[in-house]
Amino acid sequence: MSRPVRRRHWVRLDNASNIFPATRSDRDPKVFRMSAELDHEVDPALLQEALEETFERFPLYHAVLRRGVFWYYLQDSDLHPVVEEETLPSCAAIYQPDRRTLLFRVVHHRRRISLETFHALSDGTGALWFLTDLLAGYSRRRFPEETPPRTAAEAEARPGAAERPDPPLAAIGTHPGAQAAEEVHELTTDSFAHYFRRRRRPPDSEQTAHQEEFSREAAPAVLTVQEADEPPTEDAPLEPSAPRSPHPARHRIHRVRGTRTPDHRTRIIELTMPARPVLGLAKAEGVALTMYLTALFFEAIRRSEAAPKGARRAQEAPTMAASVPVNLRQFFPSTSARNFFATIRVEHTYGHGDDSPGAVARGLQERFSAEATPEALEQKLQKLIRVERMPLARIVPRPVKDRLLSVINYANNRRLTVAISNLGRVTLPEPAESHVGRMLFHVSAVRPQFCAISHDGLLTLSFTAPFVQTAHVREYAALLTEAGIEVTVSAARVSEDELLEFGT
Amino acid sequence: MRRCPDCAVQVEGDWIRCPLCGATLVGEPVPGPYPAVPLRFSRRRVLRVLALSSLGVIVLSYVAQLLFGPDDDGIGALRSVWLGIATTWLVVVMAVSKRRNLAKFIVYLVVAASGVCVYWDYLSGWDGWSLTFVVPIVCAASIIGLLITARVVRMELGDYVVYSGLTVLLGLTPIVFLALGWVDTVIPSAICGGLSLVVVVLLLTVRGGAVRHELATRLHL
Repeated sequence: MSRPVRRRHWVRLDNASNIFPATRSDRDPKVFRMSAELDHEVDPALLQEALEETFERFPLYHAVLRRGVFWYYLQDSDLHPVVEEETLPSCAAIYQPDRRTLLFRVVHHRRRISLETFHALSDGTGALWFLTDLLAGYSRRRFPEETPPRTAAEAEARPGAAERPDPPLAAIGTHPGAQAAEEVHELTTDSFAHYFRRRRRPPDSEQTAHQEEFSREAAPAVLTVQEADEPPTEDAPLEPSAPRSPHPARHRIHRVRGTRTPDHRTRIIELTMPARPVLGLAKAEGVALTMYLTALFFEAIRRSEAAPKGARRAQEAPTMAASVPVNLRQFFPSTSARNFFATIRVEHTYGHGDDSPGAVARGLQERFSAEATPEALEQKLQKLIRVERMPLARIVPRPVKDRLLSVINYANNRRLTVAISNLGRVTLPEPAESHVGRMLFHVSAVRPQFCAISHDGLLTLSFTAPFVQTAHVREYAALLTEAGIEVTVSAARVSEDELLEFGT
Repeated sequence: MRRCPDCAVQVEGDWIRCPLCGATLVGEPVPGPYPAVPLRFSRRRVLRVLALSSLGVIVLSYVAQLLFGPDDDGIGALRSVWLGIATTWLVVVMAVSKRRNLAKFIVYLVVAASGVCVYWDYLSGWDGWSLTFVVPIVCAASIIGLLITARVVRMELGDYVVYSGLTVLLGLTPIVFLALGWVDTVIPSAICGGLSLVVVVLLLTVRGGAVRHELATRLHL
C-alpha cells in the first residue's frame, strides 16, 4: 500500500445530459458524427499528431463516463485517443457500461475525417470546436507553407475562449461572449469547492493544473451561464436534438414506421447541394432556411406515404411535429463545450387551409420565433437549472432515474414525427478552409431526422433513420430537383441486399 | 459519377441500383464516402439472454430444494450434486457479467458463496457449519485475495477501494455471529473479524483520503 495515489477529478453529469446514457439503446446509441471532406486522401500519421495536439487542449474530451449511486459522472482519465480507419457502421455505440473508454472517436476513410461523439459529453457546437481545431492542426501539418503566422495566444486558446472568439454568430451559430471565461472559472470553483474541500492538493504540479482545468471545462453548461447584457436576437442556429420538455397531448401526431435495419445500424443518406439556390428558395418564401427545410421534410413524408395505405394513415393523423434544438450559447454566453441547448417543438396540422411548403414554413416560423426569444428561452433555462437542483430529483437512485427518463423520453417521442438540426455555415481557419470541401453532420436516430451544415458553398442534409426504407428521402430529393436544384446522393449500405450488390 | 434517371440525382459510390428508388443507375461509378461494413450481430444480446435465463433456472433449482425435507431417503448426495452444479453455474454467470471489474466480482462471490452455504446448511437440517466455518473462511480468504489481486493486476486505488471496503464490512459479520452466540467454534470467526478490523483501520488511516474521495464521488447527490 505504498504506491502513489491518484485522486481523479470528476464532475456530475448534468440533468440535460443524463437523458443520453439513460435512453441509449442498440438502435440509437446517442452518437453523432461530424465529418469534413478534404481535397486529398487523409494522412493518418499527420491526423494522429493533430489529434494529440487538439486532445491536449480539450480537457473535457479526456473524460470517461461512470455510474454512481445517484448520478452518472464524468471522470478524468489517462486514456489517449487513436485515429482509426473506418471499420464500424457510422454512429456505432461509444459508451458501454463498465468499459472505460473515451467518449469520442476520430475515424477516417479516403478523403473524410469524422469525429464521433457520445451525446452525453458534448453537443454539436462543442464537437464543432473540437473538429475545427483538429482540421486546423491537420492542415497546418499537411500544408506548412500555406499556414499564416499566428499569435501564441491564438494557438493555445480553445475556440470560443476569450482570446480566440468564434466567427460571428451568423457564420456558425455560437456566441460565447467575451467575458465568459473568467466567470466560468469563478462559478465552477465555487460549485466544486465543496466536493474537494476536505483535501485540496497544492496547485503546483502539472498534473494538478490539468485536473483543475478538467473540472472547469467539464462543469455542466447550465451552471456556467452568466446573464447576457444584451442578448443577440438573430434567428436561431441549431444543434443535434434530444427530446425534452413534454407538452400535454391533444391530438395524435403522425409517426413514420418502417422495417428496422438488420443489425440496428443507422440508415444514413446524404444529399449534397449548392447552398445559394436553396437559400434563395427559402428567402423567396420569406422564411428562415431551417423552417423551410422542415416544411419540405413534412411534405416529403406526406408524399412518400401517399400510397393507398399511407393515405388513410395520413388522414387519420394529419398533424406532423418536429423537434428543433436551439443553441443556448447564443443567448446565454458560455464557453462550456458541454451540452447546452434546448429543443423547440413545432407542428403543423394538414387539411386546414394552405398546405404548400411555403405556407407551412411560415406557420412553423411563427411558432418557432415565438419560442426562440431570449425571454422564452430563459424560462426554459431557469427550468433546467431548477430541475438540476431539485432535491427530490437528486436522491432518486440512478437506475430508477434511468427508467423514469426513458419513460419520459418515450412519451416525448410519441409526440414527434421528425427531428431537424441545423448547425449553419461553418468557417474554418486557414489553411483548413481552402482544403476542406463539404462538411457533414448526422446523429443516430429513433425517428427520421436530418442534420444540415454548410461549408464551401455546399449545403449537406444528412438523413438518418432506424429504418431500411428511403422513400421520404427520395421524395425530399424530388422536391429539391423539381425546384431546379442539383442534388448528389451518397449513402452507406445497411441492408443485406445492398451489401451483396457491392460484392457483384 | 453515376446518375439515377428516375430521381434525377447524381449518386456517389459504386451503387448499381439507386439507393433511393432502386432504379438501375447509368454512368461511371466514383468511389463512395462510406466503406461497406459487413453486417454484425451483437453477442451482447445473446449473452444477456443467456445470463438472465441461467439465473432463472438457478433460482428455480434452489427453490425446488425446499420441496425435499432433510430426512428424505437418498436426497443428501443428490442434493449436494444439484446445489454444486447450480452454484458453479451461478459463479460462471457472475464471472462473465462482472468480468471487467474483478473487485466487484469478489464481493458478489463472497455474498453468493456465503448465501448458498447458509441455505444449504438450512436445507440439511441446520448444523451451523456454514456460519461457523464457511462464512468466516470465505470472507477472510476474499479479503486476502482482493489485496493480492489489486497488487498483481495493478488496479487503480479508486477502482477497488470501495469494493475492498464492502468486502471488509462483510468480513466483520462473523463478529456479530460471535456476539450473538450463533457459533460454537470461535477461532474462524475470531480470525476473520480480527483481520477485517485490521484492514478497516489500515484503509481508514493509510487510505482515508482516497476512501472519502471515492465515496464522495459515487454517493454524490
